[in-house]
Amino acid sequence: MSVLTDLIERVRSIIFRRRDERELAEELAFHTAMETEKLERRGLSPAEARRQTSLALGGMERVKDDVRDARGTRFLHDGQRDMAFAIRTLMRNPGFAAVAILTLAVGIGGTTAVYSAVDAVLLQPLPYQQPGQLVRLYYTDTRRKEERGVVTPVHFLDYRQSMGAFSSIAALFLYSESGADIGTGADVRRIRILPVSADYFDVVRVQPSIGRPFSRDEESDASVVVLSHALWKDKFGGDPSAVGKSLIMNGRSYTVAGVMPDGFADPLAGAVDAWVPGDLRPGRDPNEAGNHYLSVIARLRPDVTIPRAQAELDQLGATLAQRYPNARYAGARLDPLKEDIVGDSSKPLEIMLGAVAMVLVLICVNLANLLLVRGTDRAREFALRSALGAERRRLVRQTLIESLTLALAGDVAGIIVAYFAMKAIVAIGAGSIPRLSTLELEPRLLVFSLVIASLSALGFGLWPALRAARTQPGDILREQGRSATSGGVQMRLRQWLVVSQVALAFVLLVGAGLLIASFQRIRQVPLGVRPEGVLAFELHLPEARYDSTARARFYETVAERIAALPGVAAAGGVSKLPATGDFNIWGTQALTGPLANLDRGNIAGQNRVVSGRYFAAVGIPLLDGRLFDEHDDASAPRRVIISRAAAERMFPGVRAVGQSLTTGGGPREIVGVVADVALDPQGRSGEGYVYHPHRQFAGDRNWSLVQVVRTTGSLEQLQGEVRRLIASLDPQLVMYKPMALTEAIGRGEAQRVFTLRLLTTFAAVALGLAALGLFGVLSYGVRLRRREFGIRMALGANGGSIRRMVLREGMVVTAIGVALGLLGAVALSRVLASLVFGVSTLDPRVLASAAVFMALVAGFAAYLPAHRATSVEPSSVLQ
Amino acid sequence: MAGEPGELLQGTLEMMVLKTLSLEPMHGWGVAQRIQQMSNDVFLVTQGSLYPALIRMKRRGWLTTSWRVTENSRRARYYELTVAGRKQLGLEQASWLRASAAVNWVMNARLVPDGGRA
Repeated sequence: MSVLTDLIERVRSIIFRRRDERELAEELAFHTAMETEKLERRGLSPAEARRQTSLALGGMERVKDDVRDARGTRFLHDGQRDMAFAIRTLMRNPGFAAVAILTLAVGIGGTTAVYSAVDAVLLQPLPYQQPGQLVRLYYTDTRRKEERGVVTPVHFLDYRQSMGAFSSIAALFLYSESGADIGTGADVRRIRILPVSADYFDVVRVQPSIGRPFSRDEESDASVVVLSHALWKDKFGGDPSAVGKSLIMNGRSYTVAGVMPDGFADPLAGAVDAWVPGDLRPGRDPNEAGNHYLSVIARLRPDVTIPRAQAELDQLGATLAQRYPNARYAGARLDPLKEDIVGDSSKPLEIMLGAVAMVLVLICVNLANLLLVRGTDRAREFALRSALGAERRRLVRQTLIESLTLALAGDVAGIIVAYFAMKAIVAIGAGSIPRLSTLELEPRLLVFSLVIASLSALGFGLWPALRAARTQPGDILREQGRSATSGGVQMRLRQWLVVSQVALAFVLLVGAGLLIASFQRIRQVPLGVRPEGVLAFELHLPEARYDSTARARFYETVAERIAALPGVAAAGGVSKLPATGDFNIWGTQALTGPLANLDRGNIAGQNRVVSGRYFAAVGIPLLDGRLFDEHDDASAPRRVIISRAAAERMFPGVRAVGQSLTTGGGPREIVGVVADVALDPQGRSGEGYVYHPHRQFAGDRNWSLVQVVRTTGSLEQLQGEVRRLIASLDPQLVMYKPMALTEAIGRGEAQRVFTLRLLTTFAAVALGLAALGLFGVLSYGVRLRRREFGIRMALGANGGSIRRMVLREGMVVTAIGVALGLLGAVALSRVLASLVFGVSTLDPRVLASAAVFMALVAGFAAYLPAHRATSVEPSSVLQ
Repeated sequence: MAGEPGELLQGTLEMMVLKTLSLEPMHGWGVAQRIQQMSNDVFLVTQGSLYPALIRMKRRGWLTTSWRVTENSRRARYYELTVAGRKQLGLEQASWLRASAAVNWVMNARLVPDGGRA
């Protein structure tokens, strides 16, 4: 016989099953009719002929089954029947089905959602061509190479000119990345603009879809702009002739040079509406070789490796150190761009992946437990059916199909859960985890979840099914439910499964506990400011209408007018909110005192420009000297206030007030010393702050000061009042991004919040599953031992002792699980170390609370079965 | 009906079906009737063995089917031998003749005093 013909015939009969069935029925009807006719011709009555025919030919359905067997498609018919049967069986026990499907849904949904988050953030390369060639360039201390800082424009221009290892290099002015007002009158709105150097679009290899990128001639504050696809649609209705037209930003007219394609995203900035050329004219900055503010990315030539490029960079660095002696360092380092972007968020996500794996194992164990119980429950049913002549193979298949039906239902539910879980992850992580916004449910992931579901169903369906098939029907039927021995081995197995669940849940609990403890620790870190009750918002003054004098006056006026509002204690402005990171790190040199003009008297000063009563508004106390007042204006000598750390570094042993230093392009006199402020929410301290009065520094650039307002009232109410006040001063100004200062500072810890929320969710799910498992095992044990309990009670045992017996059993299982979990937590302490802050990964308080919590939940899960054990009526089980 | 209908070996049934169809294309009932007649009512072919056998042979490529109208104008499925089917009939007939001859030799054997065989 030809294998091919056979295959074709089989496939054909699968495809044309319906037709085949119809034709078979017709053929058999024809056969019967002919037979009946034959008998009638022999003189029988039609009724008798029909009777004899049907006797002679046997059951029609049986014949059909045999024909289907011969066709090789019988498995399909049986499958369909089994499926219908499985659904009916499952419906008879909706509790079991619901728990199983829910378990699967949580498992598949959670895994799929977190897997896609990890996939979007970690696994997928950058959305640019040849992403492996992209690097981030940092300035670094030649002695401390792990230091990463932004780059000075002078160095950048030299890298661009001399580095042979780069095919292109670009600078992003992320420091000045800011808003711009577009439109006029009531239509005015704020957009985000990002100044970049000319080769930016070459480095990422994404060119404007219409128009052109910037040229190097335009790196001189030229009035050209490249629009994002969205802004182009919005302002020009997607008209291709927009190129060459003008767009008013901040009251200044820009010519549209190009439009970026839809979906383009900057590697280092988010949600940019327009790009303008960054100003790279030499000599623009008075303190340039010491003034770091460029974020630099580059594309390596195809044949160049990072170490080779680094070698060239080191060589160039030596030359630059000689050329610009006033630069603090001339070193630079390269990091793969992807690593740079993903950076710190890779660890939490990897830990998340581990947590998900644990939850998945928990879910599988629960499922195994469920199916095992069911397998035992149905052993008698199977034995009976097998004794009545059902094929073993058929019974195994029946069980498998039941599990598969469960898996399919769980999968559908899981996809739904995944969809919402993903929405939740995006919502939780928005803003703190880069590229998370690109997250979406992918077909690949659906396949992934399908595979998980089918595998778990097959795995856990197969075992009880095979066991059922192996059992001698007589053994089980003889048992008559009198002895509990058959459950014994299985009971132990199931207890161990629950032990493993408790252990896994405990590890997750410890993880969540450590995060919570770290969180409390971070909250306790002294930041040097009192952020509660402070409203912060950006207030940008368009240069076209506000020159430096007008800006200096306006920010002071706004602070004064806001301070006059009811409930407001103080108001002011600052170039960068406290504890939100580095900004304007300029070389700062003591000019007087013991370290005058010495290298040791030079610090990397954190320069801030302030207006109004900034120090009072955020709660920085004055330690010595005085704060700025209206006399510190453009006509007065340049003055600064420094932080205590800066004072101690530059003027050790002497009073800093009255001394002078140089920063930001000239000598300054120190009029006051204020308390230190942390650089980030973790309490990192820098080398010290230098505060400049905005009145004196407004001419340097448009500082777009962030306004801070301290109030004793509610922030929402204050926000409305301030908005009205600003509108009364200048209706075209926008109160941009208003938020609580606590929230603004909290941004830095958002990533930890993200991890915390996900991990506590997982810990809760794990805890729930473990409790469910424990509950299941104990209840089942109680059911098996009903007779025993009945006898005990008949012999005089009281309810309390029986309850204690069951509870003790639950506690023993929990204790073993916690002990194993403890070992797991110790083994994982290295991994968890990256999550914690100021807490040991083996913090006894955290471990103890996790154990107590686990025990409480376990006690709760054990109580119900224990209670049920005492409700056994001795007479009912002993009859 | 003369005597009990014989039990049919599966291979034998297929061979007889092939033989019957080698005479002319026929529907299932016809095949059953023809075998019954030709075997002088010794073999009674049931639906339960006939139709699965027909399907199996079709899957092996020995038969083709078509719906035609019978002489008393009913619609019926006709089976027809293919070239492969004809070849198969030859093979089976040859091996049947060999096997039945061998069986006959065995059944006709008698004991000879010298231990030899007739």
